[in-house]
Amino acid sequence: MKILLAEDEKELSRALVAVLTHEGFSVDAVYDGEEAVEKAKTGVYNCMIFDIMMPKLDGVSALKNLRAMGNVTPALFLTAKSEVDDRVVGLDAGADDYLAKPFSMKELIARINSMMRRVNKYMPKQISVGSVVLDTEEQSISSENSIGLAKKETKLMELFMLNVDKALSTKELFNNVWREEDNANEDVVWVYVSFLRDKLRAIDANIQIEGEEGGDFTLKIIS
Amino acid sequence: MSIYQDYEQTLHEIADDLIRRIKDNNESYYAQNGTKVYEHLSCRIKSDESMREKCQRKGLQEDVHSALVELKDAIGIRIVTSFVDDIFENLEFIKSIPYVSIINEKDYIRHSKPNGYRSYHAILEVTWDREDVKGNFPGKYYVELQLRTIAMDSWAALEHQLKYKKNVENQELIVSELKRVADDMAACDVSMQTIKNLIHKKQ
Repeated sequence: MKILLAEDEKELSRALVAVLTHEGFSVDAVYDGEEAVEKAKTGVYNCMIFDIMMPKLDGVSALKNLRAMGNVTPALFLTAKSEVDDRVVGLDAGADDYLAKPFSMKELIARINSMMRRVNKYMPKQISVGSVVLDTEEQSISSENSIGLAKKETKLMELFMLNVDKALSTKELFNNVWREEDNANEDVVWVYVSFLRDKLRAIDANIQIEGEEGGDFTLKIIS
Repeated sequence: MSIYQDYEQTLHEIADDLIRRIKDNNESYYAQNGTKVYEHLSCRIKSDESMREKCQRKGLQEDVHSALVELKDAIGIRIVTSFVDDIFENLEFIKSIPYVSIINEKDYIRHSKPNGYRSYHAILEVTWDREDVKGNFPGKYYVELQLRTIAMDSWAALEHQLKYKKNVENQELIVSELKRVADDMAACDVSMQTIKNLIHKKQ
């Protein structure tokens, strides 16, 4: 589980990284809103934690920008402000939750876990990229044609479609799709990428998954 | 007298020669690769009765010109394969037969029909050392070729039953479920091919 943390107070950031890492999360820490947007554009995160008051770009604007780009990663605001209006602004900007400072680490972790549990309900049932529509409920993709997908193929395709043009490593893909499987190993990623590639060809899709066995894979729209 | 008149003999000659060549190709493919390039091969000359019925249905005169020139499926060949790529392997072979040229192709595999039907259709023009209806020598004859996988074939058989059975209960539901199954079967066909390629490292 990967978290993007944007918090400009170095002390607090360090403490959060230590606690979250201890809880088993892997954390990328950045210190202003612009950096947060850049990181979120290129990386794959399961959750984002943004401070509201940050240099260069505040947390609310950063999240607004990301949501406008189609980023649907669950987000939580840390806020020194506890006025009702400020919390409303944050939630309206696309946040899924907020926590007023000072907060207890225990509560933060409980809120992150709760967001993760709800994540599937937030995901749109249909995702479109290029000519292709993925229906996560029907487990099918369609373009010129439609074709059924297996459960893991749907998960993997969803991940690619929510992260167009991003280079996703075999490890990242594995951790996101197969993390709850006991007997899986990273070889499964190449096999499933192969399944998806042939299925995309079969429906005459104008998107394709680029990359080599064991390396990074990127979903691209073919012009 | 049959609607095909004296040309019926030529239809049989052409069908027999095509079948022989397609079978021979399967055998040499097997000798080379240890696997067959198709599972079933069937061929029929459209019966006099159904050809006349088709002429009527299409508003054509019931004569030999309609049967051999206007309609191009007096000879029908169907090749059923295990894997999707084998369809194109067979197609390439048929294109390489010297007297064959393909005048029309429809790829209902990549562009399936709305009901889920998948198959590859081609109309072959055969140049044969016999006179044709128009008096050309050598003459031009036509063959309808259908290529599909076993999965597509059994799906088509089921859909055929639906088409010819009247008053099916829950018609709409059955039609939409049939479409879903077509997409699932296509998914299996594609995945079988992917696995085959992974085994042989062709990805």
